[in-house]
Parts: sequence; C-alpha cells; structure tokens
Amino acid sequence: MAQAAHTLNPSKPLGHGHSVKRHTGLMDWITTVDHKKIAILYLIAGGLFFGIGGFEAILIRIQLIKPMNSFLDAQTFNELITMHGTTMIFLGVMPVIFALMNAVIPLQIGARDVAFPFLNALGFWTFLFGGILLNLSWVMGGAPDAGWTAYTPLSTSTYSTTHGVDFYTIGLQIAGLGTLIGGINFLATIITMRAPGMSFMRMPMFAWTTFITSAIILFAFPAITVGLVLLTFDRIIGANFFEVGAGGNPILWQHIFWIFGHPEVYILILPAFGIISEVIPTFARKRLFGYSSMVFATILIAFLGFMVWAHHMFTTGLGPVANALFSVSTMLIAVPTGIKIFNWLLTMWGGQVRFTTPNLFAVGFIPTFTMGGVTGVMLASAPADFQFHDTYFVVAHFHYVIVGGLVLGLFAGLHYWWPKMFGRMLSEKLGKWTFWTFILGFHLTFFVQHFLGLMGMQRRVFTYLPNQHFDVLNLVSTIGAFLMGVGMIIFLTNIFLTSRKPADAAADPWEDGRTLEWSIPSPPPEYNFKQTPLVRGIDAFWKEKTAGHTEMTPAEPVGSIHMPSATMLPFLMSVGIFIAGLGFMFSRDEFKSDFVGFMFNNYLVTAIGLLITFGSMLMRSLFDDQGWHIEPEELEGEQI
Amino acid sequence: MTTPHAEAANNTLPYEPEKATLEGRNKVLGFWLFLGGEAVLFGTLFATFLALRNQTNDGPTANELFHLPLVAAATFILLVSSLTSVFAIQAMHRNRPALLRNWLLVTVGLGLGFLILEIYEFSQYIRHEEFGMTTSAFSSAFYTLVGFHGAHVAFGILWIFVLILQMSRKGLTVVTAPKVYVSAIYWHFIDVVWVFIFTVVYLLGKVG
Amino acid sequence: MTTDQHSPEGGIKHRHRHEGPQRHIVVFIFSIVLTLIAFAAVAAGGVNATFAVIILLVMAVLQVILQMGFWMHLKDKGHLLPIIFMLGGFFIAGTCIVMSLYWVWWD
Repeated sequence: MAQAAHTLNPSKPLGHGHSVKRHTGLMDWITTVDHKKIAILYLIAGGLFFGIGGFEAILIRIQLIKPMNSFLDAQTFNELITMHGTTMIFLGVMPVIFALMNAVIPLQIGARDVAFPFLNALGFWTFLFGGILLNLSWVMGGAPDAGWTAYTPLSTSTYSTTHGVDFYTIGLQIAGLGTLIGGINFLATIITMRAPGMSFMRMPMFAWTTFITSAIILFAFPAITVGLVLLTFDRIIGANFFEVGAGGNPILWQHIFWIFGHPEVYILILPAFGIISEVIPTFARKRLFGYSSMVFATILIAFLGFMVWAHHMFTTGLGPVANALFSVSTMLIAVPTGIKIFNWLLTMWGGQVRFTTPNLFAVGFIPTFTMGGVTGVMLASAPADFQFHDTYFVVAHFHYVIVGGLVLGLFAGLHYWWPKMFGRMLSEKLGKWTFWTFILGFHLTFFVQHFLGLMGMQRRVFTYLPNQHFDVLNLVSTIGAFLMGVGMIIFLTNIFLTSRKPADAAADPWEDGRTLEWSIPSPPPEYNFKQTPLVRGIDAFWKEKTAGHTEMTPAEPVGSIHMPSATMLPFLMSVGIFIAGLGFMFSRDEFKSDFVGFMFNNYLVTAIGLLITFGSMLMRSLFDDQGWHIEPEELEGEQI
Repeated sequence: MTTPHAEAANNTLPYEPEKATLEGRNKVLGFWLFLGGEAVLFGTLFATFLALRNQTNDGPTANELFHLPLVAAATFILLVSSLTSVFAIQAMHRNRPALLRNWLLVTVGLGLGFLILEIYEFSQYIRHEEFGMTTSAFSSAFYTLVGFHGAHVAFGILWIFVLILQMSRKGLTVVTAPKVYVSAIYWHFIDVVWVFIFTVVYLLGKVG
Repeated sequence: MTTDQHSPEGGIKHRHRHEGPQRHIVVFIFSIVLTLIAFAAVAAGGVNATFAVIILLVMAVLQVILQMGFWMHLKDKGHLLPIIFMLGGFFIAGTCIVMSLYWVWWD
C-alpha cells in the first residue's frame, strides 16, 4: 500500500520461500488486487465519468434555459441526453457504489480480503475499458443518440446510421461484464468470508444491501447482456430480432431492456439505503430501529423489483390485465420502502443526533427520496401514466430517486468513510457548504420539472416554443443545475484541500463508530485485521465499547497472513476485450488503407483482442498464484 | 495404467479435494452463482426464441427444417458425455488421476462430436435450405440461441482440455481439483440447457 | 484468506464411502428413457398438440431435476445456497418466458 507506512524489502525472501515482487507508482495501481486500492480506482474512474455526465447535464440545461435556444443543435442534444443518462447510471454512480462496497464491505464483515481478489481487479478494468469505449464515440464519428434506453426501431441501423449505438451496445456489454463479475465477487465474499460469530442476521445493513444488490446484479445483468447481443447482431450482422419487415418485434427490446432496467434502479438505490442505515444510527448513538424488518424489506424490494418492469410500458398497449397487474405490483413496493423510511425516523427518535456532514446528507435523503417515491406511486397508476408518460414529470421523478436518493446517499457515504479510505477527515465546514448548495440546487432544478411535465412539456425535446408557461420554470431549473455544479466544485475543493493535510485520522474518527471497520486503523493496513475479530452481536464494535473494551476480541492468535500476488493479467484481459469490441464494431466499414480494411473486415482485429483475453486467461489457469505471506514479526511493527 | 492402490499411495489427497481449501470452496460457490446468472442468460435467449419462433418471413419453418434423427444423435452424445464427466469426478474422489484423465478425454471427445454435428447441421441449413442468420426473425433467434449453446460447448472443450494438460504437469492437487470439479459442473449445466433446447426448439418446432 | 493454521480437512481420518457408478448409470438410463418418451411423442405423430407440449415439458423438467440433483450434486449436503441461487435464476428465466408468451404479440 503506497500510503501506508508498511514497506517490505523486495529482495528479502519471505516466509514459505515465496519472494514477493512489489510494484511502485502506476504499475502498482495497474497490478493491484487489494480491495482498498481497487476501491480508490473505482472512485477515481467513477468520479471522472460522473464529471463528464455532469458536464453534459449542464450543457443540456444551458440549451433549455430559454425557448427556441440555438446553443446546441438537435442532433448534439440527442447525443448529450443519451450519453448523460448512460454515463451517469452505468459509468458514474455504479462505480462509486462499487468503490464504497470495496472500501467497506470486507472491513465490515471482518475479512482480510474479498473472495476473489483477481476477479475484483478484472471487474474494475473491464468496467473502465467499457466506459472508455463508450466515451470514445464522441471523437470517433458521433455519440449514441437513441436515448439511454436505446428503444428500437430508433436504435436499429435503419434510423441510427452512425456508429453511435454500436458504441453503446459494445461499451455497455464490456462495462456490464465488469459489473457482473463484481456482483459475483461480493456475493461470495459475504457468504464465505464473514468473521467468526458474524451470522447473517448480525451483518451491518450496508453489508446486507450489498449482498442483495449483488444478487440483483447477478440476475438482471444477463438479461441486458442478451438484449445488447441481439441489438448488436441486428445492427452489425443483419439479424432480424427487431426488424418488423422480417418478422421481428421492437416491443421485445423494451421488455428485455426493462427486465434488466427496472432491477437496475434497485441496484442503484439499495446500497444508498444501506449507507443511510449506517450513518443514521452512528450519529443518533442508537441501534438501527427494526433491523430485521429492514433486512426483510430489502429482500422484498429486490423480489418486487423484478416483477414490475412493464410499468415502463403502460402506453405500448399491453392491455388492461397486464397494466393492472404491473400497477399493483409497482404500488406494492411502496410498502417495504415505507417500512425503511419509518425505521430511519424511529432510529433518530430519542437519539442524541449530531448533524455532521454525513448525517446532514442522510437526513436530507429521507424527505427527498420520499418525494421521489410518492411520484413513483403516482406513475404506477396506469391511467394517470398515460398523461405522465414521456413528460418532464417522469424526468423529475427519476431524478428525485436517483439524485435525491442515491447521490445524496453516496455523498453521505463518501463523507462518512473518507477518513477510513484515506486516513484524512474531509473538512466539515466545506462539507456543509456542499450539502446546502447541492440540495438547494437539486430541488430548484427538479421540483419545477414536475410542473413542467404536468403542463405538457415532453422529455427529450431539444427546444420549446415561447409563451407556453414553460419559460420561467426552465430558467429556474437551469439556475438550480448551476447551483448543483457549485456544490460539486466545493466538494472537489474539499477533497483537494484535505489531500494536502497530514493523514492523521483516528481509527474511529466519528467516535461513535458501531461496526468493525472503525476498530482498525485509518487507512487499514494491507491485511486489514491483524487478528480476525470475534463478533458477539449486531454492531460488533459498539458492543465491545459498551463492555468497556477499546478493541475487538481476537478470534485467532497472531499468525502469518497469506496475501494474493499483484498481477497484470486483469488489465491485459480487459485490453483484449476492448480491442475485440472495437474490431467487431468496425468489421463492416470501408477503410482508406487496404491493410487496415483487411484487418477489420476479416475480424482479425477481433481475433487479436480475443487472443489477448483468452491467452491471459490461460496464463492465469496454468501458473498458480502461490501468493505471499506477511509474518508475525512484520505485523508487530505496525501501529495497531 | 498403474493399479489404483499404487496411485493412491503416491500422494495423500483429502476426500473431496475440491472442498479442501477456502479458495477451492470459494471457487465452487462462485461458479454456482455464475450459473445462476447463466440461467437468466439462457432464459432470456429462450424467451426471445419463443417470441419469434413463428416469424419465418416466408423462409423455412421449424417443421420443414429439423430432422429428428440428427437431433437425437446429438442429444445422445451430449448425454453420454455428461455421464462420463460424472465418472471423471468419481475417479477424482478416489484419487485416481490416470482414470480421471481418461474420462475427461472421453468427455472432450464426445463434446467435439456434438460440436461437429451442430456445425454440420448449420451448414446444411445455410447451403441447402437458404436459412441463414438474416433470413427471418425466426432464423436469427434460432442461430443465436443454439449458437450460444454451441459456443458454451466449444469453450467447455477448450477448458477441460487445458485442465487435462495442467494435470499432466502438476498432478491432481487441492489446486487443480476444484478446477476439474467446477468444469464438470459447467459441463452438466451445458447438458441441462441442451435438454431445454431439444425440447423447446426442435421437438416443439415439430409439434408446431 | 487462509492462514497456515488451517490445514486441509484431509488430515482428519474419516471413513468415506465412495458412491459407486451404479446410481449414476440409473440416472443416465432414466434420462435416456425420458428423452425417448419426448422424441416418441413427437415422432409418432397424431398426438394432440397440447398434450404433446405438456408431455415434452414434463419430461424436460424431470430430466433436469434428476441431472441437477445427482450429477451436479445439488441433493448433497451443503448446497443450500447454490440451490437458492439456481432457483432464483430459473425464476427470472421463467418470468422472461411468461413475458415472451403473453406480452410480445397481441391482437
């Protein structure tokens, strides 16, 4: 770990006869399999894409600031809304969720590592290369322009003639592979790596929501994998899945997309629920109210999340039976979600509440997310949805649940766990400024959009005529968007200033930490726990504190710790997939150079890419990773 | 081949070596989770096929195309290969690496046979029936579903073959055993998917 | 992550009874019979279409349960989580099938 005081002499042979090769600088980050470093990689990459998506949002709002504006043309606007939605969901918030999961979950369950450190790295690199591929579209002939849902027939080669949608299908395919790998890794980690005594019903809520989220990822992502394959085949090799003229059916795409897409929004929000369930009890100095009902509600939301996809399709004409069915199932989700809201409120009730920055975000989350939930129930009513469909009311709704829900949750989590990840406390003063500018800007941007929608403004229009009562509200919305941008800049400033301060955060910097991650140094040593802790109840660390202990009771004597080796292979595999994806995408193009044309048109570029990937897999299989050991005498030197 | 007792005496391998280490147990569990996802993957492909199976666009229909004897032969081959991979795992549990290798070789051979039959079938359709990927929505769905399964078979053949090579160098250890066990689970899963393919694609195609 | 205190369980002396090939051959024979019934129901012709579809699906499901239970060891101890996650996968797959049968084409 670069920033930890822990240094080993590379030439010194370690125990068990394995010598360990230590990389430094960039190579250290490319080859790392340490979940804490992968967390930081996810955070940097996710933050970068989040910035791109946010910049696209600002451009969209500038275009809509006044009627008949000509800041952007219609084509650019379509590309911007498509890329804003796609980038934010797949490349912005999901990696930040994975960043927090990686940084926190092994610590919370008392594990030294994840179940599959190698796959963990592979998941990150495939996500990153998928995201890069998608964003290359801006400089390689035009971004996708068929909306983040890429509805057919608009997204078929008949109507989307550039490579834009190909970048969408291939880019998301590769990024989605990374997400699926990450999901499987966290499922296995939580099932097998929990410390002694930590039964499922003693796990922190964030570990529970991560577990359930990973299960949703496992069952939802294969559906979009197939959907993207079908669309790719239609566009590149002339298949007929969605071509009406040859017997295909565009509705099929909508179904497949939303069978994935609706669970996807629960993939986004459940981790936020988990974060809020950690932050609120900590700063109320009270145990989470209704822990088991929280667990039950999470499972129920996950199950119902798969049963509601067609509420995105009420207006396609599925008929009254289907519409009624999906209306009812959608409204049912309000029940477990309501349970959660009340549990958070009752956790604070009678607690000694401290309004630190993380808690401000958590407390701000509750009413904001509830508003998004309420408009969700409104949209669930099929007859009303015929009015709301494809208007700004929908835009307001999903920004309330995703930004007002998830992003506030992520801010809470980042401020809360920042000292654990980096050993430095973010400035509380700047944090509070971030909160107030961001949440005010947020409501200013999106609250008025409810009314724009009800008055009939459609989503995805690149401009509108004056004097339809849209003018003032759009201006207000754009001002709000800039205020959110200011909030983000304050947050980045906070990060920058904090990074220049000494890393002196205490192990338990909030002083009321309840879970295992606060029982070890900030940032934790490479092996997390010198001795695996013994868990004696919910909120394991708090339980020890109330018994008068300052640290966890160990479950094992001090011993040599086995660590996995750093490796280049996950990076290489992802590079291979990236090359193969690009090669396949351009396989039907004409090129000026004969040689380049020969390479692409005969799928040779694809073959080279796949060869790199499968070759790396073969290397991984043939050469066993013996790992290396950290010996007890080296542990003793640590400040624990 | 040496006698089983001589083989067993050479190294002491725990009973069920695939579950002897935490890494091994994680690998097996993680692979089961992956198969849960694979079930959804094939489920979506089956759903696509079922939605489009009658959309023949004036091209050949399922009833005109499919020949049951060929499908029956392919089914039989894959079923036998599933049985031989069970025998391979039994040999592994008895710590008889040579027998394990032989059963794996038989499994790979049968898998190759299945793949050759499938390639032959596809080439017949393309050359003699004018039934290609672009013919109709039905043809696209057919080739994608059956082709995905075929690609899984091809990957399984390569995978098991690599494992055979590995074991010839490293022997049967607590590192190689989980890999073999997991590849056998994968092979059975391929067979299970095929059960649904011959039922839903071929037999239902004949029934109409 | 293992520390070196963890020794493989093999060090402990257990008497394991290796199951013979017999039961797997029985499963194989059952699979062949179920497959034959399915093929016969179609090849014979003249069977009512709805009835044939029911036979086909029952035969397929039976065969899959047999093979997953015995050949993939799901009936053995310690397979609760694999069973839960496989059932989850099959459930979502079933949802997709329902979608394709009822909500893609309509009059």
